[in-house]
Amino acid sequence: MKTDVLIIGGGPAGLSAAIETASRGLDVTIVDEASQLGGQLNQQTQTLRPLPSVYEPMRGFELAYKLIEQIKGLSVKPLLNHRVVGFYADGSAGITDEENVFPVKAKKIIVASGAAEKAVAFPKWTMPGIMTIGAAQTLINRDFVMAGREAVIVGSSDFAMETAMQLMAVGTRVKAIIEKQSEVSAIDQEKVSELSRNGIPFYFNSFIKEVRGNGQVEQIDIELPDEVITLNVDLVCMDGGRMPILDVFYQLGCSFGFQEELGGWVPQYSNTFQTDREDVFIAGNAAGISTQGPLLLTGMIAGISVSEELQAIRSAEANEMRETLWKELGLLEYKEVYSGRVKHLENFTSPILKDQFIS
Amino acid sequence: MDKTTIICRCEEISCEEVEEVISNGGRTFDDVKRITRCGMGPCQAKICTSMVAEIIHQQTGLSLSEIPLPRMRMPLSPIKLETLATNSTSFSAVKSVLDDVEIEEGKVR
Repeated sequence: MKTDVLIIGGGPAGLSAAIETASRGLDVTIVDEASQLGGQLNQQTQTLRPLPSVYEPMRGFELAYKLIEQIKGLSVKPLLNHRVVGFYADGSAGITDEENVFPVKAKKIIVASGAAEKAVAFPKWTMPGIMTIGAAQTLINRDFVMAGREAVIVGSSDFAMETAMQLMAVGTRVKAIIEKQSEVSAIDQEKVSELSRNGIPFYFNSFIKEVRGNGQVEQIDIELPDEVITLNVDLVCMDGGRMPILDVFYQLGCSFGFQEELGGWVPQYSNTFQTDREDVFIAGNAAGISTQGPLLLTGMIAGISVSEELQAIRSAEANEMRETLWKELGLLEYKEVYSGRVKHLENFTSPILKDQFIS
Repeated sequence: MDKTTIICRCEEISCEEVEEVISNGGRTFDDVKRITRCGMGPCQAKICTSMVAEIIHQQTGLSLSEIPLPRMRMPLSPIKLETLATNSTSFSAVKSVLDDVEIEEGKVR
């Protein structure tokens, strides 16, 4: 199979890259392992703001719908329930539909593989009833299944605060938020105070010491600075932060740098979102963990750069559009993330990991 | 961290086993993997990579940027051999490590 642009990942970044490329007449293929496009947006019921100026604030699943609407009628072929298994010497991607593997040769590849959640290890954290916040969100919002009746949340990022509120909205009692640091890691203080107003205790400098239960979590001991308390719960949601998914970039031979503000190891890329492999571009959380507005912008920039490379848009026009989008990125993105991104770009020519042996 | 805490849930490798490799000089995820099978189960190190890096960081004081990524091989996620074999006569989905090695006068270039 041949295509102009192969986009790996059909979440917000992959879809916005698809809109930018396909709307300029390019032939686009999107691979996604899920059965529908939209990625994590499908289980995000919270209102997303700020979004790029072309979108008004809306809920995650509404944004997924809006993005999918825009590729209708364009030359975009979604390969759903498909996975990339690796790359071959001629540059083609090995893609499987679980029955066969077939090669796809693309002129340009945009990798929008997204982020993976990190777990938090404590004794017996592998027991049923203990899951990441993303897993709990998927259960309640996508599968319409109660994740548990009585819950605690370990960690206090913005994502954890949103999930706590969504759990409460479906009738789960959130008994505590446990944070090992001395303050919340969430940047949006509004959600934190809303949870406090609802009487949810925040335990700082604290962690789970022990989990008990017969076949599933029933009780936990929390080590507070000066005492140990016991809570009966059937759900523990872990928020260990998120990191970019890198396996595709590794297989493609891209180089990596380390940028804590972006989630740790991140492929190196320039301000056009081109990696050090000239046919490979990057977008979304893979290029640094961020919020939905900035993720859309990175997809748009990558899409415009690919359109320019394939001569679907003039360079002067592409430069102008990129400049506007970068300005908007600086406005929408959390300051520490944006400055991490700018620092990361500066290291483009001096990556920490490069020329790795691939097999 | 409690010594008995599981780090790799697929292969049931504990924190203690990871620490033992580090005390014997292990400094990368792949060092730990080769000695304990950590990361070699169904999830293919997708969950334990960052936890092992964190333990190496805590035990040795190496910064996380000094602990390299594990090698991410093909196939990127588990796949049935039947699927990998394909029904195609013109295309082989199976890649050999030798595909990436260039030989010159009998030696690896």
